[in-house]
Order: sequence, then structure tokens, then C-alpha cells
Amino acid sequence: MDSLHAIGFYVSATLSIGGALLVAFVPGRFLRGLALAVTGLGIAGIALSLSAGIAALSVLVCYAAMALLVAGPRYRVVEPQLASTWRQLGALGAAGLFALLAYAAWRGDFVHATFNGGAFGTAATGRFLFAHDALATEAVAGLVLVCLAGAAAAWRTRERGR
Amino acid sequence: MPGRSGGRLADPGARTVTAGLVAVLLVASALVAVGAVTAAWRRDLTAAIAAVPLMFGGAGVAFAGAARFSAAGGEPIFGQAAMVLLAIAALAVVALGVGIAGREGRR
Repeated sequence: MDSLHAIGFYVSATLSIGGALLVAFVPGRFLRGLALAVTGLGIAGIALSLSAGIAALSVLVCYAAMALLVAGPRYRVVEPQLASTWRQLGALGAAGLFALLAYAAWRGDFVHATFNGGAFGTAATGRFLFAHDALATEAVAGLVLVCLAGAAAAWRTRERGR
Repeated sequence: MPGRSGGRLADPGARTVTAGLVAVLLVASALVAVGAVTAAWRRDLTAAIAAVPLMFGGAGVAFAGAARFSAAGGEPIFGQAAMVLLAIAALAVVALGVGIAGREGRR
């Protein structure tokens, strides 16, 4: 990984973790949705710096949709009855999980390897979709076509009934 | 002769900025932990559901990083595919949660 990708990685990591902390602590659904979008932007940047461009695009679209859902007008408050002791124990457990994962990553011994997948990952994705799993890709494309045709037919039927 | 950068001589002892698997796994574990804290800490169930994408995103970052830096010789696309799958799963969970809360909850 060259310096430019590494700087992009660290900037994106800061964005994603900062956005995640905002999701945790900020009040209000609009700000929470905005923080979720910032987190998605950071995760997409991390994916891009890891030469996973297609995944970065997908993550960006998915997190934008999630941000719209969380900040949208359908948001309702649901408060189940749960003792605060259990919530505090859960938070302590999450902190312990982070300590365990960070220790494992820090002390782990990893083998270094060269990466030949390209800067954006399109060649590997193309090989994967159109050579390795061509039949599955065509099946998904057929399913999408049937869904679109069905949705158009249903819409026309409903409009005719009005 | 040392290389020039921006009209100045580059410092021969300068270190290049780089990021490895350890940095990727640290970021991934931080995202998972922040998501777990949010899910446990938030009193509002819909706000707790917003923590699911954080945990799934952390797992996706770990998958993509492991595939990027892997020395096993496997398909590098596997980590990307897992990351996309996790993002779509997180979107489905959030849509389901917000939809159920829209029926059950109050404004």
C-alpha cells in the first residue's frame, strides 16, 4: 500500500469511527442519520483504499439508504423495559470485546503478501461474476427482470382500477 | 542522488506512510465495539438498531482487509463479496427494524 492509499485509509478510518461515536451519542433522528451517512462514507473510503472499489460503491449506496431510513419520517420511538444494570453490563462486555480484538490484532503474526487484484478491483470482480459464477449472475439478472416486470404490471393494474 | 520532491531534496531517512492488516483489524474491532456499546447502551430500540450497521461494517472491513493482505492465495474478491453481503444484510435489518417500530412505536 503506497502513501496516498495509506493516508486515505487513515482519513477514512477517522471518519468511520468518528461517525460511529456520533451514532452512539448524538440525540435526535436527523443527526443520527447524518452520522450514519458519515460512517458509511468512511467505511466506503476504507474499502476503496483496500482496492475494493465495487464494494465501496455498494457500501455507500446501502449506508445512504440506511441513513434515509433512520432520519426519515417513519422513525418511531420504542422503549422496551430493560434494567439499566443489564445495559451497563452489555456496554462493559463490548469494551472487553474491543480490548480482546485489539490485543489479538496487535499481537497476531501475519504473513505479508503481494496483492495483484488491481487498484479498484474491477478485473477480479469481472472474473468472479462472468467466469467463475456466470450462471448465478444470470439467475440474479433474470430474477431482477421478473421483479421489475411484475412491479410494472402491478402498478398498471392498480392505476387502471382507480 | 536522492530524489527531489516539490523542489526540495527528500529526506533519505524519511519513512513512508503505510497501513497493514493490523491497522485494518484495529479499525474493524473499534467499529464492532462502538456498535456493541451503542446497541447495549441506547434505551430506544430504534436507535439501538442503528448500531447494527456499525457492527456489520466493522466485520466487512475485517473481511476486506483479510482478503487484501491475505497470503493464502485465495480469491481476493471473497472479502469484497462478504463486505457487500454484510452491507445489504445491515440495510435489511435496519429497514425491518424501522418498519416494525413504525407500527408499534410512538412519534
